[in-house]
Amino acid sequence: MKDMIKKLIQPFAVVFSHVLRRPHTIQYPYERLVIPSNYRGRHVLDMEKCVGCGVCARICPNNCITLVPVGGRRFKHPQIDYGRCSFCEMCVRYCPHDALSMIDFVELSATSREELIYPPQKLAEIPSVKEALPQLKKELTVEVTESGIRYIRRKV
Amino acid sequence: MSEEPSKRVMRISWGPQHPMSGQIRILVDTDGERVLNIIPDLGFTHRAIEKILENRNVVQGVVPVERMVMVDTANNALAYVRAVEELLGIEPPKRAQYIRVIICEVCRILSHLYGFGLGAESGGGYPAVFLWSTADREPFLDLMERITGTRWSYSFFVPGGVYRDFPDKIKDKFLKTLSYFEKRLETYRRAWFENKIFEARAKNVGVLKPEDAIRLGAAGPSLRSSGVSLDVRKNEPYEAYDEIDFKVVTLPEGDSYARLFARYLEMVESVKIIRQAIENMPSGPYRKSVSPFKRLPKGEAYARVEAARGELGVHIISDGGFKPYRVKITSPTLRNLYVLSQLPKISDILLADLPVIMYSFDPWYLDADR
Amino acid sequence: MYTLNEIIGSLTKFIGNLWQFIFQMCMSLAPVLFIPGLTFILLFVTVVIWFERKYLAHAMLRMGPVYAGRVFGWLQCIADFLKILTKEIIVPSDADKTLYYLAPILLPIVDGLAIAFIPVAPDWVIFRGFGYGLPLFLAIVSLGPLCPLIAGWAANNKYTVIGSLRAAYMCIAAEIPLLLSAAGIAILAGSFDLVDIVEAQSKMWFIIPGFLGALVFFIGILAEAERTPFDISVAEQEIVFGWRTEYSGILFMLTMMAEYISLLAWELLFITLFLGGYKGPVIFGSPFISNIAWVLIKLGILTAIIILLRTVFPRFRLDQAIKIGWRYLIPLAIANIYIAIIIKLFFPFVV
Repeated sequence: MKDMIKKLIQPFAVVFSHVLRRPHTIQYPYERLVIPSNYRGRHVLDMEKCVGCGVCARICPNNCITLVPVGGRRFKHPQIDYGRCSFCEMCVRYCPHDALSMIDFVELSATSREELIYPPQKLAEIPSVKEALPQLKKELTVEVTESGIRYIRRKV
Repeated sequence: MSEEPSKRVMRISWGPQHPMSGQIRILVDTDGERVLNIIPDLGFTHRAIEKILENRNVVQGVVPVERMVMVDTANNALAYVRAVEELLGIEPPKRAQYIRVIICEVCRILSHLYGFGLGAESGGGYPAVFLWSTADREPFLDLMERITGTRWSYSFFVPGGVYRDFPDKIKDKFLKTLSYFEKRLETYRRAWFENKIFEARAKNVGVLKPEDAIRLGAAGPSLRSSGVSLDVRKNEPYEAYDEIDFKVVTLPEGDSYARLFARYLEMVESVKIIRQAIENMPSGPYRKSVSPFKRLPKGEAYARVEAARGELGVHIISDGGFKPYRVKITSPTLRNLYVLSQLPKISDILLADLPVIMYSFDPWYLDADR
Repeated sequence: MYTLNEIIGSLTKFIGNLWQFIFQMCMSLAPVLFIPGLTFILLFVTVVIWFERKYLAHAMLRMGPVYAGRVFGWLQCIADFLKILTKEIIVPSDADKTLYYLAPILLPIVDGLAIAFIPVAPDWVIFRGFGYGLPLFLAIVSLGPLCPLIAGWAANNKYTVIGSLRAAYMCIAAEIPLLLSAAGIAILAGSFDLVDIVEAQSKMWFIIPGFLGALVFFIGILAEAERTPFDISVAEQEIVFGWRTEYSGILFMLTMMAEYISLLAWELLFITLFLGGYKGPVIFGSPFISNIAWVLIKLGILTAIIILLRTVFPRFRLDQAIKIGWRYLIPLAIANIYIAIIIKLFFPFVV
């Protein structure tokens, strides 16, 4: 009998104690998580280092990289189709000259399939989060403490 | 499909358009509230992974395989990578084995948290524990981001080791996250497993006896919660599991409550495994280089791992080319689905029990369809 | 001939009498229009739906509505209400059209009509019932399970038929304990009139001597108003949405409203029978406003407890719920009647 009462009241008390905590919600696009710097987001191409060897195109599991000529340069450079890319980082790992790298930029939505094919000139630019998200006001880091998960909010 | 049953029996299509069916269509024959027959109808998410793997070399092949079960990525990738290593005849270094064990156990925790949430929701209502468990995956996903660079489908394993070493200062973060998580497990136990109405809903429901579990071929925690103590990590230890001390979670009852509780206890065991692996990690090299552009030797290899849902095996046959000739993957969910379809014949099930039983087997239909 | 003064005098008197007449009509219509009548019911439904979304969201560690209405998202339910009004009403081709339209229209009426008997102040009750307020209330609300049966049958769908039969089983199993515990309270108070029952609680609220009755009544409310853990007829995980599956647009909104109106009716009865109705120390100045305020405060606390139960517990299976109704609640309610008789005979100073 006592066991039954405990098993009916205790869950209620546990759930009620959560009503008073801060919620876990991140209100994107007004807030954004600070992602670790080795995150696999969009590629960045260093055109000076790239010699057009084609290892990235051969190792890509989804065949999204093709080498295209760039006006005024000696070698061909990779063009990546983000409609197919699975962000597996094999092209970055196997590039013998470290020309490709991935940064933590993930705002890659587009309005047509052709916009998702990034030519080498576009890959060479380093994007800025502020342009992609004009409403951004704060950024958060996740911190795990003994008592709970806290979000530390900082103004951008 | 079998013919329409007689007039008294009603055939319900527990179909893909259903709030609690997953990506499958199950035909349920009911007589009033009693379920007479369950006929699963798979194939909604077939992606031809085994055929794709015939066109990828062994380094690229990790990428489709790990997307088979997304919550439990590392275990699937590990099965494939170990099969390839057995084919090529190489053995990864010790540090790589410990890193693999840690990542696999974190994936097991992530998968069981997600399955626990769904199992809680299947009982009815909109329980708060479902969303707490989804929120509690966040610290572990953060850890995985720092180590591998992404939150799921890591493509971190390669035949011969792992791609990168652990970053510095990751050990403190691990220990903090693990102690926070142990406290949360206590909260889950007090809020859900000691909940009188959940016990009324899940105890003595869908009882699976040990002989039936072995005869029908159950896998994973569904098998171990019927009293049969079989775990690939103890019977055929792989990676660094023979140097780590842990228990195999076995419960005697075999009902839905035992299946869900077994997953909870496995999470507790996984925390112990990760702690031991982090403390005892040896130093040394983390990768033996394997070139993806060389021919594979002729032969076959089979490797099995204990994924979160059961035993997952990968069988590779190579005829000497650059890419494998055939890759066959055995999936634990398909085996558990067969057990589910035979369950009305061995015990009494009511229609209202069907979601609880389905989600106590923790199905993930993407790996039944591959 | 009449002089101008006489004409103006009698005209003024006539307008004065007319104004008096209209004013008295309005005053007697005020309970119907404002509280506990139509305005209160609609406001309650709106506020409770918003409150449920915010409250459950914070219990699940997320935010509820945030954007509609800058602070707390309080305009969200109004926005949803307007959106649902503009949706198309889809009638299945092989459904019984008259019954299909009839059931959701009847449902809020049947549930809400019972609120007419509840007193919010000693003289502020819509219909006193000639001294038989309590049995009339229970009689009208017992028509409740009829409408889900009509709706489920009319929609001609396997899921709805199962849902409507479940609703009927559930409501029937829950009504008898409710009636018996209400009978115990009527014995304690000595009358069937709801205003007399509230006045009889001046010394102590009936929840203390009639504790067993309060427990049975509380569980009965959850079962009769179909809230978790007894929302079996709307088991979304099993039978999609029970008898409400096929409804869309304004008919769906009427069924949602009916759920909250029946909850309101039963909660008001619980407050009247066990928690002292409008009695309480005088706050906010005049006793009239204080009566209404006490009813609202007690209603708010009770609603908060009942709503949170949705996140805490899963739901019962139908046979378990019926077993609770018939096997456990009825003996407790009968025991409550015995205790009420004993108190009335031997401890009359309590009441």
